[in-house]
Amino acid sequence: MGDQLARGEEFVKKAEKKLKSWGLFGSKYEDAADLFDKAANCFKLAKSWDKAGSTYVKLVNCHLKSESKHEAAQAYVNAAQCYKKTATKEAISCFQQAVNLFCDIGRLSMAARYYKEIAELYESEQNIEQAMDYFEKAADFFQNEEVSSSANQCKLKVAQFAAQIEQYQKAIGIYEEIARQSLTNNLLKYGVKGHLLNAGICQLCKSDVVAITNALERYHDLDPTFSGTREYRLLADIASALDEEDVTKFTEVVKEFHSMTPLDSWKTTLLLRVKERLKAKELEEDDLT
Amino acid sequence: MSEVFEGYERQYCELSANLTRKCNCASVIHDSEQKKQQLSEISSGIDEADVLIRKMDLEARSLQPGVKATLLAKLREYKADLNKLKKEFKRISSPNAHDELLESGMTDVHSVSAEQRDRLSMSVERLNQSSDRIKESRKTVLETEELGISILEDLHQQRQTLLHAHNKLYDVDSAIDKSKKVLTTMSRRITKNKWIAGSVIVALVLAIILILYYKISHR
Repeated sequence: MGDQLARGEEFVKKAEKKLKSWGLFGSKYEDAADLFDKAANCFKLAKSWDKAGSTYVKLVNCHLKSESKHEAAQAYVNAAQCYKKTATKEAISCFQQAVNLFCDIGRLSMAARYYKEIAELYESEQNIEQAMDYFEKAADFFQNEEVSSSANQCKLKVAQFAAQIEQYQKAIGIYEEIARQSLTNNLLKYGVKGHLLNAGICQLCKSDVVAITNALERYHDLDPTFSGTREYRLLADIASALDEEDVTKFTEVVKEFHSMTPLDSWKTTLLLRVKERLKAKELEEDDLT
Repeated sequence: MSEVFEGYERQYCELSANLTRKCNCASVIHDSEQKKQQLSEISSGIDEADVLIRKMDLEARSLQPGVKATLLAKLREYKADLNKLKKEFKRISSPNAHDELLESGMTDVHSVSAEQRDRLSMSVERLNQSSDRIKESRKTVLETEELGISILEDLHQQRQTLLHAHNKLYDVDSAIDKSKKVLTTMSRRITKNKWIAGSVIVALVLAIILILYYKISHR
């Protein structure tokens, strides 16, 4: 792929020469942009992502000068996608600038999509707060554009992260809201019990027994079929195990549920937290007695 | 004197218990050699029992009347017992087809119970296997249900995207109509300009020709 690199360099030189010269009819920016585009393509073929990213950024300047913000934003997005493969920070900054441009133009749905991308990049870097932040922004924008399914997806991620960093009330609110919305939709109503289970687990992590029983009743009101499911039974059993402060019963119940449908890592982490608290309470009681 | 009687009595009890046991064994054995042996033993035992009973009879009659009555009653019981044994013996020794027909089912008590135990354990195994299989299939059903739920969610999203695209297309349609109008206006203006420019040029050329003509005609 050495020749692609060379071709790319050639194109870049030509484009920069064009920029410096005084072109006729002011079309020099478009020609330069064209050449930059070709150059970046060559770099992409040669798999040198950094060079491709920087070329795209130069491309952005050309487009901005020729007043086509849409093209500029698109070029930022291309740059960000190149940088995604090497340096995430650069990618994030490029995405951010692209989002700003899109907002200026008024293409909010694209802005929302790229907010989601940024959030996913932060998630892969395990930066949970920022990821949550950006997912919230994305959900907002999606909601404004009436794309409720993507909005719900982003909100679910927000709830997941909120529960991970122990903002349980927020997570509970989101899960209940989504469950309520999904009830009316024929396609989504089968997922309601999953959401209610997640909300129930967050309630358990708050370890407020009265609230849990209230919540379970509320869910039963929301969805009459929920009380017949194994999820409801799991929640009720765990609530009673918390009441009786019986760790073995808790582990039994969880194991039984796990043998039927394996619990994913998020649920396992949260249930582990509940178990730790239960054990701590038990030890406390032993100390007192 | 009753001591002798009691001694005879004890001997007789032992003998009769022995004989009943041997009768039971003999009735189960099918091997003819062993059976003959057992049968001969039983017959000698029965003869001995007979002798004992006759001795006991003599003893009882030689005693005083009060004791005699009780002893004679006991003796009658023993005689009845011995008669039963003799009948049993006769039944076993005689080759009775009726008996053989009924006997064919019960070979050996031990082997029968072992067979039953085997059958029981096999059926218990089979039940466990089927309950395991049922559990597995239930797990698969639940997995399939989860998969179905996620597919439905995807479908919902795609439906939304399609509806969105549909609406956008309406917008695009009206935008294209507008642009068509704009383009036709543009082309009309261009032709108009062309005509105007053409007529202006023609007018100028005519004016030049007229001026030249007047200049030349005035010379």
